[in-house]
Amino acid sequence: MPPLILPADELTPFVEFDKKKEIFYIAGKSLLDNPTPFFVPLKDWLTKYSKEPNSSTVLNVKLEYFNIATSREMLDLLKILETVPASKVIWQFLEDDEDMEESGQELAELVSVPFEFQAY
Amino acid sequence: MSEEILKALTQLFAIISKQDGGVSDNERGFALNFFQQELEKSAIDEYLKLYDTISGYSEQVGKHIDDRSNQPTSVKDSIRTLAICKKINKTLTQKQKVVVLIKVLELVSSDKQFTNQRMEIVNAVSTVFNIIKEEYRLIESFVVSERVDSLDFNDILIADEGTEKSAPLQKHLHAHVDGHLVFMHVRSVEMYFVKYLGKDANNLNGFIMKPGRVYLFSQGSIVKTPDGGALYYSDLIADFNDEIQTIKLSFKATVEEFAFRNGTIGLRNVKINEGPGKLIGIMGASGAGKTTLLNILAGLEKPGKGSIKINGFDIHKDKNKVEGVIGYVAQDDLLIEELTVYQNLYYNAKLCFAKVPESEIQERVMKVLRDLGLDHRKDLKVGSILDKQISGGQRKRLNIALELIREPAILFLDEPTSGLSSRDSENVIDLLKELSLKGKLIFVVIHQPSSDIYKMFDKMIIMDTGGYPTFYGNPVQAITYFKKATNQVDSNRGQCEVCGNVNPEQIFNIIEARVVDEYGQPTNKRKVTPMQWHEMFRNQFKPSLVEDTREEPPKTLHLPSRLKQTIIFTTRNFLSKISNRQYLLINLLEAPLLAVLLAFIIKYKSAPDGKEYIFRYNENLPAFMLMAIIVALFMGLTVSAEEIIRDRKILKRESFLNLSWNSYLLSKLAILFLLSAIQTLTFIVIGNWILEIHGMTWTFWFVLFTTSCFANVLGLNISAAFNSAVTVYILIPLLLIPQMILSGVIFDFDKLNELFSTKGKVPLVADLMTSRWAYEAMAVRQFKTNEYQKAYYEYEREESRADFKSAYLAVELKKRNQFLIDNLENKTDTIQKLIISNKRILYYELKNETFKEGITQLDLKDMFVGSGYSREIGNLLETYFDTYKKHYQQVYNTNADLIEKKMAFYEQQGFDIQKEKNEFFNESLSDLVRNINTKERIMEYKGQLVQNINPVFQSLNPKNVFDYRTAFFFPEKNLLGQTLSTYSFNLLVIWCMTLLLYLTLYFELLRRLINIVEKVNLSVKKSG
Repeated sequence: MPPLILPADELTPFVEFDKKKEIFYIAGKSLLDNPTPFFVPLKDWLTKYSKEPNSSTVLNVKLEYFNIATSREMLDLLKILETVPASKVIWQFLEDDEDMEESGQELAELVSVPFEFQAY
Repeated sequence: MSEEILKALTQLFAIISKQDGGVSDNERGFALNFFQQELEKSAIDEYLKLYDTISGYSEQVGKHIDDRSNQPTSVKDSIRTLAICKKINKTLTQKQKVVVLIKVLELVSSDKQFTNQRMEIVNAVSTVFNIIKEEYRLIESFVVSERVDSLDFNDILIADEGTEKSAPLQKHLHAHVDGHLVFMHVRSVEMYFVKYLGKDANNLNGFIMKPGRVYLFSQGSIVKTPDGGALYYSDLIADFNDEIQTIKLSFKATVEEFAFRNGTIGLRNVKINEGPGKLIGIMGASGAGKTTLLNILAGLEKPGKGSIKINGFDIHKDKNKVEGVIGYVAQDDLLIEELTVYQNLYYNAKLCFAKVPESEIQERVMKVLRDLGLDHRKDLKVGSILDKQISGGQRKRLNIALELIREPAILFLDEPTSGLSSRDSENVIDLLKELSLKGKLIFVVIHQPSSDIYKMFDKMIIMDTGGYPTFYGNPVQAITYFKKATNQVDSNRGQCEVCGNVNPEQIFNIIEARVVDEYGQPTNKRKVTPMQWHEMFRNQFKPSLVEDTREEPPKTLHLPSRLKQTIIFTTRNFLSKISNRQYLLINLLEAPLLAVLLAFIIKYKSAPDGKEYIFRYNENLPAFMLMAIIVALFMGLTVSAEEIIRDRKILKRESFLNLSWNSYLLSKLAILFLLSAIQTLTFIVIGNWILEIHGMTWTFWFVLFTTSCFANVLGLNISAAFNSAVTVYILIPLLLIPQMILSGVIFDFDKLNELFSTKGKVPLVADLMTSRWAYEAMAVRQFKTNEYQKAYYEYEREESRADFKSAYLAVELKKRNQFLIDNLENKTDTIQKLIISNKRILYYELKNETFKEGITQLDLKDMFVGSGYSREIGNLLETYFDTYKKHYQQVYNTNADLIEKKMAFYEQQGFDIQKEKNEFFNESLSDLVRNINTKERIMEYKGQLVQNINPVFQSLNPKNVFDYRTAFFFPEKNLLGQTLSTYSFNLLVIWCMTLLLYLTLYFELLRRLINIVEKVNLSVKKSG
């Protein structure tokens, strides 16, 4: 399947989903009031991928900030990831950004995908 | 609310409050207020502490409100909010979630800080709760807005003193309210909320409404203004409902007086006017005529003096205009117990919608089942009351479903909650309420309703003993009305102030209160008589006017053609029969078992030497044939006798559909005839096999089948005429015993009471008996056409005729001639009489005689009728009779010779004549049909000689074309001048009788007859 690459802009994050290169990456900010249209292709791509996944999948999340509407979409995305065997999330946050660190922890409790935390 | 959810809510409140600018005292106050409502005093502190910790109120105290007001919501709060909402999603119903959302919105608006961050969170909450966008917008505006003109929604209703709406989409109601009462309808969950914008102390269900606060406007609620005005839930719902507004339906009932058959008066002066979308209860003491009223309103009984009109059409006079508009659910079950839940509904639907394609019918059935929560039970058999497969509540719901599926505009239910648990009762009434909200008009007889159920009704009709209406209006109002009427202290309060409960029992306690004697014991006298209550009622209430329409009422009914109805009925019937295993097994095994039992017992070593069984010598064959016929009659009767009684209730319901009675009956016949065919076939195959009756299977079977079919129709007749299965079964012997007495086998037709018998002919009463026709057909057929006899029958017939003439008739006639010669001169009266009768006999016999050698020149008429008889003629006849005798001896000998030759020929061909006779011919039957045992072989009866011997060899001699009567076992019959074999003729007779019975069944003659008899009985009693 073709890779999905979306460049970042003021309100949306950078996204790179590439099955062949085994890259699954979201980074930046997500501030859209209604982020659903932005996330639909991501969810579709991931759903398709979940039908024939790689032997292992690591989603790298390096978000600086996202709003409450985005958090719902993020949860949806992680719920799809739950169906992918041997999947994992690497949650990256700025060293002193407690809010992002704790958010990752809260999110990890809502889904069954294992989280790994990395400060940068 | 569970602790877990309350915690979740507290967190949610806290997270929202802490956004931009931190917690305000207003917000905290709102939360505290909420805790006070939901929690015990001791727990409030704990929750408030939780709220303070999360919202940061504790840290904030004393500090100046910080300047983080523009900071975005932290990601952590977002995720927490999300987690809380997900948790709430798992436990709360959609209705509860709507309430939570409203609470959250109220929290925000308590402080009027509608900042982006806060609203973003609330918005997210509503999205996670799966509340649709438009509805969220509605709810948000409703809670937040303080101005009515900004509420431009379809689902908003404003009640105020103004005369016009303040926004184009909203609805408006004129009422005497200071300020505005704002009502909101949340469609997805069918909930209503109310909010008051103004300064007055309005009161909702007895509580003061705080201005600006949102209240749930639940079923049966009433908002009262200080000056006594009231807004009822039911009226507001109707105003909201666009669907109801467009339905054209008016129901007007006027019953001036209704008297029962025995003359007592059941109802007086009832006037009911209603429109669409109302749920109306009928209550009353027992014997007050609740069910009578319902039956009259539904058109099951005529109202006596008065009329029932739907959209102006009288339901008795313009029947076709209101066809299918009325639905009726009786108190008893109207289910076909042998069918599954799905099948019950499916065949009912098939009968109602001729024009709807099959797939849509199935869809509709499933939809109704889903709506009533029966979809997961759809493949269970309904079962009888004793053998329950589905619960009482489910049965009731299925009963209602049967009516619902065809969507009648007006529905009548007789005690739909009787015998149900309170939970089931509530479900049923909920369902009815929902239907009424869709525009149906529903009348329900209800007994001892719970408070919740009572409040769900839009109106209540209360009846008192003797059929007097004593109240007709709002249910909660009824309680205050009766309290006021008897000057009770708290007469203004209909419901409990704390819990909002009402006590409908109070009404009857007041209505039926008794006068107390000086010892404090209640007497039999009532404080207020029914008549007084009724007077009071008439003075206080005027029936509301309902817009009268002349449009045809809405209906969805399309009946299938007669043929299709028959097919549907038959399939339904067939499925119900085959699913009842016990019934099927007994009916299918009954016949073979009886056959084995009967045939085995009567099979004995019948050979003359007593060593083996030989069919020819089995003396039990005639009795076996009779038993076979009785068995056919019996099985036919028992299998059909209960059929219609069982269906009577179902028929009552289906009578609202005007289904074809003929189709229904034909479907019954189809199934019963099939069963009869199988039963008689198994019986005769086994019986014939054991008794070694060869070559007669189909011949006998058709006789028995015909007999059984006759019995089926007879059984249906009594089943349609009588009320209980017991009566019907008691009747069976009454129908069967005469069939045995007059079968002609047990008692000789010649030896019956003179009142009935005709010598030489089958008595007329016996001609009414199927058994006699069937038996004759079987016996004659067996004798005439069995493999052995059929080769010689015609010769033996000639032989027998010649024998009779030479051996009996010649002697008899000669004797009579001699008497004439001897008494020619005697003029005594008695002798003259004898002479005349002898002359008549001689004339009759000689006139029809073909052999007239030696007397051809004589004028018989002159001789015997006139006075031409003389001694010479007498002598001439004497000689003639000698030749006559000789001639017939000759004929006899020729035929006997022919028979012998034929036998010899067959034997030469290699046939074993003896063996054939042993196998196919039966001596006892032969004796019976030849009447060998009669003592008087020839006798005089009513001026004619009657041959008693050998009926089976005799020939027809009909008096006219209609004369069908013969002696028993005659080989042929006269049908309008045509000669027909006895077998065909007799079967034809039975089928004609069957057809006749079908006609009496179709026109229900027996039932009408019984009704007339009952009426006569009753009037005799009364006058006596």
